[in-house]
Amino acid sequence: MAIRVDPENNETRALFDMANFDGQHVLEIGCGNGRLTWRYADRVKHVTAIDPDAKQIALAREHMSSQLQDCIEFQDIAFEDFNAASPPSSFDIVILSWSLC
Amino acid sequence: MQYGGMVHALEQIHRLLRPTGVLIDIHPAAVGLPIEIHQSGKIDVVGQLSVRQWCTDFQEADKALSEIVQRGLFAVERHVVFDSLTYYASATELRTSVKESIDKYARDAQSAQESVPHAEALAARAEVLMRAAVDRAELIERDQTHISRLRPI
Repeated sequence: MAIRVDPENNETRALFDMANFDGQHVLEIGCGNGRLTWRYADRVKHVTAIDPDAKQIALAREHMSSQLQDCIEFQDIAFEDFNAASPPSSFDIVILSWSLC
Repeated sequence: MQYGGMVHALEQIHRLLRPTGVLIDIHPAAVGLPIEIHQSGKIDVVGQLSVRQWCTDFQEADKALSEIVQRGLFAVERHVVFDSLTYYASATELRTSVKESIDKYARDAQSAQESVPHAEALAARAEVLMRAAVDRAELIERDQTHISRLRPI
């Protein structure tokens, strides 16, 4: 049996309580294997989910459902490099998912 | 991430956000993580998983957020604390997962080395208690987690 993280969805409830994701452009920093991304991606216009760990991003891409392929873009890139290549004022919501520390 | 890197990252996020946007930060509280065994409605605390470096990192994340608020880059609009539970099928799974996290986030070999025996001892205790459990027992790590909504100014 695999490890189950937050099956009670406490984190998802707290996240949805913080912002309205409908139709938003989201940047998720430190997305890992997409554990949190799957929980809100069906509400947003587009999510760019980044993580410097290429293995985790490969796992996220592997598990991405076909319905979400048009709205999620996973990138294995460090935030510093991503920022350098991105124009300002690009996102409505930025999520630091356990990644600031 | 070092403290200076955290503040710098928050400055960069300010640049990437639209003026009407929001930053949502999720990170664990800088406290030990209770490891619990849940069985037949009863909760036994195995111990507290306390990795010094993680606590330091989480404290610095709090400090970095305070600094960017004090500097007038962001305003905190909402802050909530919730419990996030992680369920392990066995003490072996807990041991492996914790060791992987210690290795992944260790800034140096010394901080990894000092944390592993503590995690080992906790996993060994959990193993004994899980074996002794009569009914179906669940091994759970309880993360006290902060979530904040910050508005760019």
